Amino acid sequence: MLPMTRRRVLLTAGAATAALAAAGCDGGDDSATTEDLSGNRTGAMPDFKAGTQFTATTPLTFSILYSNHADYPLNKDWLFWKELTKRTNVTLTTVAVPRSDYEQKRSLLIGAGDAPTIIPKTYRDQEIPFVSSGAILAVSDYLDLMPNFTTKIAKWNLGADLDTIRRTDGKFYVLPGVHEEVWTDYSVAMRTDVLDKLREPVPRTWDDVHDALAAMKSAYPATIPFSDRFGIPTPGGCLLSVISAAYNTAAGWDYQNAYWRPAQKKFVFTGAMDEYRNMLQFLNTLVRAGLMDREGFTQEDDAAIQKLATEKSFAICANAQSIVNDYRPALAKTHPEAKVAKIPQPAGPAGNVRRGGRLENGVMISSKARQSKDFVAMMQFIDWLWYSDEGEEFARWGVPGVTYTKTPAGEYRYLNGLDGTLPLQQKYGFFNGVFAYGGSTQLLESMFSEEEKEFQKAVNAKTTLPLAPPHPLTDEEQERATLWETPLKDFVAAASLQFILGQRDFAQWDAYLQELETKNMSAYIDLINEAYQRYAKDHG
Amino acid sequence: MVTVRTRSWSRPRSIADAERGRVFPVVNAVLLSIVVLVTVYPFATIVARSFSGEGEIRSGQVSVIPRGFNLTTYKLVMSDATFWVNYRNTVVYTVTATVVAMVLTTCYAYVLSKKNLKGRGALIGIAVFTMFFTGGLIPNYVLVTSLGLKNSVWAIALPNAINVFNLLVMKAFFESLPGDLEEAAAVDGLSTYGILLRIVLPLSKAVIATMVLFYSVTFWNSWFSAFLYMDRVDLFPVTVYLRNLIAGAATATSVGSSKDSLAQTAANIQAVTMVLTVLPIMLVYPFIQRYFVSGVMLGAVKG
Repeated sequence: MLPMTRRRVLLTAGAATAALAAAGCDGGDDSATTEDLSGNRTGAMPDFKAGTQFTATTPLTFSILYSNHADYPLNKDWLFWKELTKRTNVTLTTVAVPRSDYEQKRSLLIGAGDAPTIIPKTYRDQEIPFVSSGAILAVSDYLDLMPNFTTKIAKWNLGADLDTIRRTDGKFYVLPGVHEEVWTDYSVAMRTDVLDKLREPVPRTWDDVHDALAAMKSAYPATIPFSDRFGIPTPGGCLLSVISAAYNTAAGWDYQNAYWRPAQKKFVFTGAMDEYRNMLQFLNTLVRAGLMDREGFTQEDDAAIQKLATEKSFAICANAQSIVNDYRPALAKTHPEAKVAKIPQPAGPAGNVRRGGRLENGVMISSKARQSKDFVAMMQFIDWLWYSDEGEEFARWGVPGVTYTKTPAGEYRYLNGLDGTLPLQQKYGFFNGVFAYGGSTQLLESMFSEEEKEFQKAVNAKTTLPLAPPHPLTDEEQERATLWETPLKDFVAAASLQFILGQRDFAQWDAYLQELETKNMSAYIDLINEAYQRYAKDHG
Repeated sequence: MVTVRTRSWSRPRSIADAERGRVFPVVNAVLLSIVVLVTVYPFATIVARSFSGEGEIRSGQVSVIPRGFNLTTYKLVMSDATFWVNYRNTVVYTVTATVVAMVLTTCYAYVLSKKNLKGRGALIGIAVFTMFFTGGLIPNYVLVTSLGLKNSVWAIALPNAINVFNLLVMKAFFESLPGDLEEAAAVDGLSTYGILLRIVLPLSKAVIATMVLFYSVTFWNSWFSAFLYMDRVDLFPVTVYLRNLIAGAATATSVGSSKDSLAQTAANIQAVTMVLTVLPIMLVYPFIQRYFVSGVMLGAVKG
């Protein structure tokens, strides 16, 4: 790895250059910082390493944009703040923004040059609008200040994941949350008691799902067994995202116009793939047979839950929380004997696979922070709180002896009458979406119910589909792509729904491809493939 | 005057008129009843939900009659300190902003109502210009911030102090007052301010009441200014609290993979918060309504 040519070289005599051996990065050039940081070391620890408790040598204050959750509104008396200051000698001043409109305020503050230095809760690609203006820091330039982060990247082999967030310059601008393993939450939930009654096994494949739904339909002809939710704003968002993985394509929430074909080493247009058409045909079969509710693709969540509760349907998409918070309470009022549970995502023509990355939303840093005297200490602080084992445990579980205790077997137990995550969030400010995410599988599962652990065990047996390689666009390309992207995406979404619901015949598939062509499908895919090849050449 | 006219219209003059006279009230009553139903139904649903159990709401059993009646949700919401802090803020912001807005709007409107005022056209032009063009979000934000108004009630009160529509209605009202009255007052030795305070304003109770209602409802319901200019939870008005509760819960599921959507706000908590938020401003209506109707009519007819 000899990427020194591309760096801004601001070497001054005596600037130490520590080699970043730990970062197992394939594409980028995250080598040691060659900039002179000697004026930015106020409060920094000289010997900060992975596993060291970060404590600033002088008291420091950093400003942070805070996404305020309605269920646990920001409280300055939380133990979290006190303990954080006690351990790190850092005080965080918050700019509180309602979570409902967080993105809007973040754009406003960055646009007005008034943003706090630490900007968490930035989801994938949300940083792109701020990159070219130079308002946010290319954090990959400073990874040598973050030993915990680089250690985790190396240990969990996250180089390829990290490559997916690199921009054309080979740098990345968000410090993402990192997971040890892929975690998939959404799947199909079914009335398992009805399956038992009909002597149907729990479906393992989508063909099994078809058979189970058919058995339900013949036993209860008045029902439409599968009536889905999560259809707003993306029609069929959840269902399409779950089933598309089994067909080795992408749809619903996961839909992106370009789909990576590892065998051919190129991107193809997702909505024109044969796999995509096969998936639509399968869903169309279900709809035509009266096994899947037509309204399910676009109805309100409440309507879908009510159908489930009143036994007008027996299957619905779900995550772990919706089972516990929505379906079971609703069914308890109407059919107390009912049992509903998530089934592992059914396998499909692509085999027993799943899709997923191991990166989470993450932290952006204002560029102006680079000039401040305590820049190095801030990077060390972020590294400790978000990426060290101790920091992650602290943000999630709190203080040992106060909020939790750990058994010798490594299991966590609540203390002080806490009986779930919500009291922990509301009373003490831990397990806060701003600070606690990602981490090791053990830590992640420490808060799961037994049922969810079982589910995860079944899901972890699946093969994970390969990640698409980086293909970042230049500003000018981005503008062109944006012009084409939305019309293509909207057209595919509308046509997919028509094919599924039978409003459009599959004999018209070629005509549909023609229409995509008039909307610049090929030009778009060429653009993406060029970007991929260019990046591979420059940084590969 | 209006009532006299109505009476003369409704008096039957021929058989056809007589039939129309019988038909109209019936159609009118039916139509208005439908409008009332459409307006009241959603609100009744919310009230019913606020007294119902979460499971009953989820399973679709609640329409306008509460099921699984309970008051625990009310107790829960009312025991939330943040809710009350934000509630108090709403009251403070609404009162302050309405007072500021009333003073400024009244003065501006009164001045504009004087036809002999030099530069009157330009002053009206400036006001109307802001109806059609704004500086945009970021310039406004930068302005308010650099004036040091951020995190204070003035960030809400000052930029929204003059609503041009309200200004024009008031101006029209002042223009409709007989000029002789003011001349007589001037002859008796009153200054311009004296005329405004002792003659014009006492005669303008109707329009003032209307404007107070317009402004206070707007400020009570508004959340955007506070969202832009307030950085601390203890400065938010209750509308921001409410919006976060409702919109936050809705966006959590649409993001799909966002993993902090773990606890979704229960439907009955949302309902209770909505009821508590709209209650005070709804209670104001019956008391102001008398002025409200005549105030709106005056502005409209004489304008």
